[in-house]
Amino acid sequence: MIKIHNLHMYYQTERGRVHAVRGIELDIEQGEFFTLLGPSGCGKTTTLRAVAGLETPTEGEIFVGDDLVYSSAKKTFVPPYHRDIGMVFQSYAIWPHLNVFENAAFPLREMKRKLSQQELRAKVDKTLALVHLDGLADRPAPFLSGGQQQRLALARALVKEPRVLLLDEPLSNLDAKLREETRVELRELVKRVGITTLYVTHDQLEALTMSDTVAVMNQGQIVQQGSPVEIYQAPAQQFVANFIGLTNFLDGRVASVADKATGIGEVETASGKLRCLLPDAAALGESVIVVIRPEDINIVTDTVDGNTLRGKIEALIFMGDALECQLSVGAQKLRTKLHPSSALRQGEIVSLQLPPLSCRALRA
Amino acid sequence: MSSSRLQLGPYGIFLIVLLLVSVPLFFLILGSFSTARLPGDFSLSTMGLENYVKIYSDPGTWDIFVNTIIYVTGSVVIGITLAVTLAWLVERTNMPGKIWIYAGVPMTLAVPGMLQAMAWVLLLSPRIGFINKSLQSLFGLAEAPINIYSLGGMIFIEGLRLVPTAFLMLVPLMRGMDPALEEAAAVCGARPFSTARKITMRLLAPGLVAVMIYQAMTALEVFEIPGILGLPAGIYVFSTKIYAVIRSATFLPVYGQANALAMVYLFIALFTTYYYTRMISRVERYTIITGKGYRPRLLDLGRWRAAAFGLVVFYLFFAIALPFLVFLYTSFLGFLQAPSAAAFATLTLKNYRFLAEYGEVGSALQNTLWMVLITATATVVLSFFVSLVVVRSKFWGRKLLDQLAFLPHAIPGIVMGIAFFWVFLKIDFLPIYGTIWAMAIGFTAGFLSYGTRSMNAALLQVHKELEEAAYVSGARPWRTLWRIFLPLMMPSFIGVWIWVILHAVRIAGLPLILYEGPQNQVLSILIWNMWDEGYVPAVAAIGTLLMLALLLLTLAVRYIGFRRQLVQAPNL
Repeated sequence: MIKIHNLHMYYQTERGRVHAVRGIELDIEQGEFFTLLGPSGCGKTTTLRAVAGLETPTEGEIFVGDDLVYSSAKKTFVPPYHRDIGMVFQSYAIWPHLNVFENAAFPLREMKRKLSQQELRAKVDKTLALVHLDGLADRPAPFLSGGQQQRLALARALVKEPRVLLLDEPLSNLDAKLREETRVELRELVKRVGITTLYVTHDQLEALTMSDTVAVMNQGQIVQQGSPVEIYQAPAQQFVANFIGLTNFLDGRVASVADKATGIGEVETASGKLRCLLPDAAALGESVIVVIRPEDINIVTDTVDGNTLRGKIEALIFMGDALECQLSVGAQKLRTKLHPSSALRQGEIVSLQLPPLSCRALRA
Repeated sequence: MSSSRLQLGPYGIFLIVLLLVSVPLFFLILGSFSTARLPGDFSLSTMGLENYVKIYSDPGTWDIFVNTIIYVTGSVVIGITLAVTLAWLVERTNMPGKIWIYAGVPMTLAVPGMLQAMAWVLLLSPRIGFINKSLQSLFGLAEAPINIYSLGGMIFIEGLRLVPTAFLMLVPLMRGMDPALEEAAAVCGARPFSTARKITMRLLAPGLVAVMIYQAMTALEVFEIPGILGLPAGIYVFSTKIYAVIRSATFLPVYGQANALAMVYLFIALFTTYYYTRMISRVERYTIITGKGYRPRLLDLGRWRAAAFGLVVFYLFFAIALPFLVFLYTSFLGFLQAPSAAAFATLTLKNYRFLAEYGEVGSALQNTLWMVLITATATVVLSFFVSLVVVRSKFWGRKLLDQLAFLPHAIPGIVMGIAFFWVFLKIDFLPIYGTIWAMAIGFTAGFLSYGTRSMNAALLQVHKELEEAAYVSGARPWRTLWRIFLPLMMPSFIGVWIWVILHAVRIAGLPLILYEGPQNQVLSILIWNMWDEGYVPAVAAIGTLLMLALLLLTLAVRYIGFRRQLVQAPNL
C-alpha cells in the first residue's frame, strides 16, 4: 500500500548539507500497522513527511496505493492536498478558530466532490463517534483536553476514509497513564477501520505493543525490520539491542564454530566460555559481542549445564514489580531481574546461568 | 522547499520589495552625485563629487552632527527611562491603578508628534506661550522664562513621544521572564542584588538594547518635532536640514546636496539594520527558553505606592491631557490669548465653521482618506506575503528579504520622499508624481518594516503544523490561506491596518516632499501650511477633531488586542 524505493534526502542547514535519509526501502502491505522506530534525528519523521508530501526528497520513488506520488527520475511530485492520506501531527494541529465539528469536517469540505449537508453531517458524526467525541461536536477546539484533541486529530485524519494513515508521534504529548490506555485503543481502532498505518515513534514500548512490523532506523537508514518479537528477541545489531529494552553485553571471540543444526557455538569471554547462537558463518577467532536480556539470566545455586558465570551482587534496586540486580562478573557488569521478595543480599557471590538459546552473539 | 507550500512566488515578493526599497535608494545615491539643479535635468555627464565637497566642508554640517547626536541621545534617555520605569512598575511591583498605565500609555499614540509640538508651542513659546505669559505676569518678568524653540524643548517632546512604543515593547519582555530563572539564582546562593545584576539584567539586556536602537532610529528620522520647534529658531538636525536645503526660499533647490546629506542616514540605516536584526535574534533565543506566561513575584513598594501612581498621572497629563486641552481651548478662540475669565467669555465656534466652509479642507480630507486606506491595505497584504516567505519558506534570500523590508525604518520620511521624488520624475511615463499614489507608495515602503515585524511575530504564533494539517486534509494553498491563515491572523491584520492608518494620517515629512498642489494635499500638509501661515485657532480645530478620531482608532486597536489574547489562549 505504501512503497518507498531508494529514498534519499539532503537538508541544507547552517552547518552545511545533512544527509538525513539514506536509501530507505519500504513495502507496507494493505491493512498493516507499520512503525518507524528510532532515536531523534534518525530520519524517521522526515521519511513520514516525505510520504505526506510535506518534504520533497532528493532522490527515490514513493507510491501510495498504486499512485506514484514522488519520483526523482520522472520528476513527479504530487502535492499533499492531492494525496490520498490522513495524518495526525505531534502537536495535533487542531485549528483553534474552528469547533470540533468543523475541524473534523474540514477534509470533507475540501474535497472536489461536494457532499450534501446530510451526507457531510452523517460522515462527521460517524467519525466523531468512532473516536468517542460524539456529543462534543459544538465545543470550541481550545476547550478540549489533550486526549480529546488527540482523538479529534485522529477523527480529522480518518473522516474522508483515506487509504493511508500517517501518525507522527501522536502519543508523545499525553501523560503516562493516558498514553498507556491510548496505545491499546489506537491500535484497535485502526485495525477495526482496516486502514494501512505508518507510525513514527521514538518510544520502543509503543512500537512493540502496537505494530505488526517495526523498522528500526539509525542515521537515516533502516537497520532492522521485523515483527516486534523478532526485533526484541533477535536484534541483528548492537544498536538495535541497545535501543530496545535493557540489554547486557559481553565481549568475546568465537572459540568453536556453530553446530549446523542448532546454530550454537562457543564464545570465549573474559569470564569464561559461553555457548551462544553465533552469527551466520562466524569464523574461529572472530570477535563478537554476546547479547543477553536481564530477564533471561537465572541466578542458580548449583551449576546446571556449564553455561554459568560467577558474579558478585553490587546493588539491588527496588523497582516495585521487580528487583533489579546489578552484578560484577570479573571486570564486566551485568544486570538481571529478580522477584521483589528475593532473599539475596548485596555482596553475595552467586552463579548466573545463561541459557544458550538466549545468548546471541553479534559481530562486533 | 517543497512546491506544495504556500509560497506564491518568493521571487515575485522579493522583486516587489526590491523595487520598493532599493530602487529609490539607488536613485538617492545616484542623485547625490548629480550636479544638475533639478532631478529632471539629471544626466550621467553631470556627475561629480561637488555635492559632497560642498556639504561636508561646510562647518555648519558638523554643528548639525552635534545637534543631532545631543537630540537623539537626550530623547532616547528620557523616553527609555520613562518607559522602563512604567513597564517595571506595572509588571514587577504592586503599584495601585495599573489599569491607568495599561490603558493610558498606548492612548498617547493618539496625539501626533506634530500636534504635540504645536500644543507645547502654545504653552511655552516666548511670544505667545500661555505658561510663559502667566509666569511673566505672576512674577513681573521682562522676558519669557522658558523657550520651547530650543534643543531642550525638542528633546523633552520627542522623549515623551518615544514612551508608548518602547513601553509596549518592554512589557512582554518583563512579563515573559520566567521567575524560576531568578529563583534558581536565589537557590544557588545569589543575593537579590546580584540576582538582579547577573540574571535579570542579563536576560533583559538584549531586549532593552534592541528597543533603544529601535527608538534611536525613530528619534533620528522624525521630522515634525524638530520641524516645528527647531526650524523657526534655526536649530537644525539632519532631517530638518535636508528639508531646509530643498525648500530654502532664497535659492533654487539643490537636490543633489540634500541627497549627499542623506547619505549619512543610509549608512546609519545599513549599520543599525544589521545590528538590530542580530540583537533581535538573540532576544528570540532567550524568549524560546522563557516564553511561558508566568506572573513574576511582585515587589512591595510600601510607602512609594502613591508616588508611583503620581508619576503615572504626571506622565499621562503631560503626554495626552495637556495637549488635548490646549487644542480644545484654542479651537474655540477668536484670536490667540492666554486662558482668562475674559477669554472664556468670548469663546466662539467660528473656527469650526471656517473648516466646514474652507474648500481645501474637504479635498484634503478626501485625499487623506484614500491615501491612508490604500497605504494601510497595501502594507498589510505585502507585509503578510513578505513574512510568509521570511518565516515559512526555505527561499535562499529570505534573510536578505527580511533586512530589506526593515531597512526603511531607519530612513526618514523626508529622505524616502526625496528618493521617491527622483524615481517618479525619472519614470514620468507613469503619471504618479503629484497624486496620492505617490504618497501611498512612499508610505507603504516606509511602513513595511513595522508591518513585517508584526506579521513575523504573528506567523510564528501560528504553529507550522496547523498549516500542514490543512494540506494533508486536502486544502490547496489558497484555500489554506483563506480558511486557516486569514481567520487565525485576523487580529494582526486589523491591528497592522489601523496602526498604519494611525501613522500615515499624521506624518508630514514624506508628504511635504511629494505633494504638488491641491490634487494630493493631505491633512498633515494642510495643518503644517496653516500653522506656517498663522491660522492657529483653525489648526487647533482640525487638531482637536483629528485627535478625537485617532483616539477612537487607538481604542479599536486595544479592543482587538484584548480579543487577540482570547484567541491565543489555546496552548498550541
